[in-house]
Amino acid sequence: MHVVLLRLALGLYSVGFAHSVLTALKKKQAFFKPALAAVFAGFILHVASIALRALEVRYLPLTQQYEAFSFFGALTTLGFLIAYAKYRIAPLSVFAFPLIFVMTFVANLFYDPSASIPPVLRSNWIYIHTPLVFFGYAALFIAFAAAIMYLIQERALKSKHPIRFYNWLPSLEICDDLAYRSLAIGFPLITLGIVTGALWAQVVWGVWARDAKVLFSFLTWLVYMLLIFYRLIAGWRGRKAAYLSIVGFIGVLVTFLGASYFGGLHTFQ
Amino acid sequence: MQLALVGLSHKTAPVEIRERLAFSNDALRSALTSLVDRRAVNEAMILSTCNRVEVVAESPDERLIRDFICEFHQISHDSVSSHLYSYRNVDAIRHVFRVTASLDSMVIGEPQILGQVKEAYRIAMDAGTVGMHLSALMNRAFAVAKKVRSETGISQSAVSVSYAAVELARKIFGDLSGKTVMIIGASKMGELAAKHLRRAGASSVLVTNRTFERAVELAKVFEGAAVPFEHFTDHMAGADIVITSTGAPHFIIGKNLAEQVIHRRKNKPIFFIDIAVPRDIDPAVNEIDNAFLYDIDDLQQVIDANLKERLKEAMRAEQIVDDEVEAFCLKMQTRDVVPTIVQLRESLEKVRRDEIERNRRHLKDLSPEQQAAVDQITKSIVNKILHPPIEQLKQMAHDPQGADLAELIRKIFNVKPQ
Repeated sequence: MHVVLLRLALGLYSVGFAHSVLTALKKKQAFFKPALAAVFAGFILHVASIALRALEVRYLPLTQQYEAFSFFGALTTLGFLIAYAKYRIAPLSVFAFPLIFVMTFVANLFYDPSASIPPVLRSNWIYIHTPLVFFGYAALFIAFAAAIMYLIQERALKSKHPIRFYNWLPSLEICDDLAYRSLAIGFPLITLGIVTGALWAQVVWGVWARDAKVLFSFLTWLVYMLLIFYRLIAGWRGRKAAYLSIVGFIGVLVTFLGASYFGGLHTFQ
Repeated sequence: MQLALVGLSHKTAPVEIRERLAFSNDALRSALTSLVDRRAVNEAMILSTCNRVEVVAESPDERLIRDFICEFHQISHDSVSSHLYSYRNVDAIRHVFRVTASLDSMVIGEPQILGQVKEAYRIAMDAGTVGMHLSALMNRAFAVAKKVRSETGISQSAVSVSYAAVELARKIFGDLSGKTVMIIGASKMGELAAKHLRRAGASSVLVTNRTFERAVELAKVFEGAAVPFEHFTDHMAGADIVITSTGAPHFIIGKNLAEQVIHRRKNKPIFFIDIAVPRDIDPAVNEIDNAFLYDIDDLQQVIDANLKERLKEAMRAEQIVDDEVEAFCLKMQTRDVVPTIVQLRESLEKVRRDEIERNRRHLKDLSPEQQAAVDQITKSIVNKILHPPIEQLKQMAHDPQGADLAELIRKIFNVKPQ
């Protein structure tokens, strides 16, 4: 049942995905309101799917790749909905909807009814460590999208060709504000995520530094640390901060998606 | 409904002719009443702006309006006839819709025209020259204008220097409330741009000028503060938007100064608008992070792009207008035809009843059955007579000529419009 719900959610998310692709290609806002409604409906089904899965397996469903991607997809949707409710920035959807769609799609791909929980993950730490990291990633994704919007708008303004499509983008000040606030939420979350991860690793393995994912997440954390530092101390804002925010999120992607390929303790299956 | 429209605009007449044929506000009321006093002119409305004069009337003949215009302004037909255009019925409806929706304006999509048409309508209402036809037409025209405005982008982007400045400022700062504007040099255009920025929400204004008195004067207009020209650089860090329009022969803001200002602002963005010729600000300032510099040519370039965009949007607006004209015509024709049918029935029924009443004396000897039969026979005679014209009217309800037919049938049967 949870798989059916997730597939229905994926179907609804595909409306959002189509909206993003069309908007980006035609440089003209395409059916945003229906897409938003579809994504919202998809989100409700998605949450229901996760809840059903949790009831079925009697733990927070985060241990398999199917569950992890699904969970992250739902969190990204939640992050987008919160940011949209606060700022009413429709263009954010162009970035968020495809990510939501892809995450949910990948979750569907990875579904394996016979998979069991890896023994190493049978631990209460997972309920603390993983949600912290995922929440942090979702917030940092919003920061990343805001940075991209900032750079597009800034380039248009500097080049003196601010064509009408860019009216649709939020102002520089709002982009920067959104990026900063998302960072202010995301950074403490991933910091706590890393700390809890370290503690968990200490308990289970005794050592933890030899894992690719740990290494990448630490590098990513350093980038964001620098960004916070520059923003607070050197008064960085706008373009430079946007670049660093993008670098940081590339780090997040490498950590989240890439680490499995490099091997190490986070490769679960 | 028979609509006739005669007018002239910036497209057909030079300003000398336009001002010669314009109606002053004081003259409008008497012009309207004298127009509807004419035979075969039932309703009228006059729009008179600096770009156009439009006289629209419920009348079967637009020549009556041409005559009226020439007589009212005491000008010969020959001298103006080549500048006047006239439209009837569907074409008149389309023209009214297009004018109101600002598709016929000199600057397409400019918003003032809607207000001007509304004002002209109000004056005609006050003068009592608007009836059900013109009120239906104008209310629809206002709705169409609103629809065009909201569904197309024809009024969205700025097409004047000062609005372009506001639009760009919004792209940088979003909300302008709490922002400070600094005016360096006192030119008309700089003043105008500042005025628009202020109206868009900017909360304070700083003014500086080589002659301090002029700065004080201008500061008063904006309820702002005047700053001595020698010290303006000290105050610049507090300004989010800087408008320069001095007569200086060289740059007064160089890259170094701008960098210092940005530094003192802790990298908060600053928007320089240089409308001076020769320029006041070194173009290299635009290379600095968080500084945005637009000179007069840049602004013009933005305006040109916006104008092109408006023309594209205008095509979509024309489609909306076409659809609306069609829908409105249909509605009007049905509206002309249906009451005619009802009135026709009522009036013949009245004739029948009156005749029976008049002959009551001769009929009183008849048995109740016979009386009922007479009643029935007269009814069916009336119905048989009415059948062909009513059928024709129903068929023509959706035809452009339906209104003419309704008019003709009314005349034949002597049915007065309600």
